[in-house]
Amino acid sequence: MSGKRILMLVAGLALIGISIGIALWNKPHENMSEAKADVTLEAAALFKSYNTDEKAADAAYLGKTIAVSGIVKEVSKPEGAPAKVTLDTGDDFSVICELDGLSQHARTDFPVGEKVVFKGKCDGFNLDVQLSRCIEVK
Amino acid sequence: MQKLWFFLIAAVLMTSAVAAQNAPKYLTRDGKLKFDATATSSPEKIEALSNSATCVLDAGTGEMAWQVLLKGFKFEKALMQEHFNENYVESDKFPKATFKGRITNLSEVNLSKDGTYNAVVTGKMSLHGVEKDITANGAVTVSGGKIRINAGFSLLLSDYNISIPSVVSQNIAKEAKILIDATLEPKQ
Repeated sequence: MSGKRILMLVAGLALIGISIGIALWNKPHENMSEAKADVTLEAAALFKSYNTDEKAADAAYLGKTIAVSGIVKEVSKPEGAPAKVTLDTGDDFSVICELDGLSQHARTDFPVGEKVVFKGKCDGFNLDVQLSRCIEVK
Repeated sequence: MQKLWFFLIAAVLMTSAVAAQNAPKYLTRDGKLKFDATATSSPEKIEALSNSATCVLDAGTGEMAWQVLLKGFKFEKALMQEHFNENYVESDKFPKATFKGRITNLSEVNLSKDGTYNAVVTGKMSLHGVEKDITANGAVTVSGGKIRINAGFSLLLSDYNISIPSVVSQNIAKEAKILIDATLEPKQ
């Protein structure tokens, strides 16, 4: 193989490597509209799992995409942050779904008492079970 | 860990029961915590924000307890977020960061009177399985029955056994800046 061909091969491989690096660096966040739920359950059951055995619940749910259904207890819109929908669990503490800041939402107002389903990432247990990047599932 | 958190809150509330029985307690579930590990040579900002830190403050004693879920920190870049969770803070193994401490200059901070006060908070920070003493300076603004806390401090990542691979060490600050902005409301 001539020196010129070797040089072209090395340059080609370098270009491929750089392209892969740039693609990885700029890879988008997961599209939550298309994300498949790993687990589907009721808010009360999710909360009970965490309240009973947090370590076991983390092993089952932490970082997973969860579809959770429940009755709207409260909606808050913190300044400069996505809205949060609190789902009733029958306990003083709740399951809180923070809407996804990267997705478009058909609505961000949810009447108290309405039954809803959200799909989001489970961040863990912090008094309440916290889900982020949530979108409503119709 | 949840039991520990309940214990911390109970400790805050019980201490207050003795020291200041009628002093109100304040709570937020929506505290904003910004993590910034941008080095001067970083090609991009290495920063993330959580909107879901919890904080309980006893207005009588100045004791406070914070907790934040590490998976709740959102980065602009998906890859940064993955590295933060998997390689640095190991959020599957250590899902939370906590702080328990108190306002040390409470005599200069009137939490029952509207105004903005300089506050110094010291306490124990727990991150990545390591507990360290820290001190933070901040502003406490009392207005309309709410208490807003703005504070900032730095964490030396190596203090918390968070190691940065040498190949990216020039691009990540050894000391991460933490900025807090939280509005606490009276606990019902």
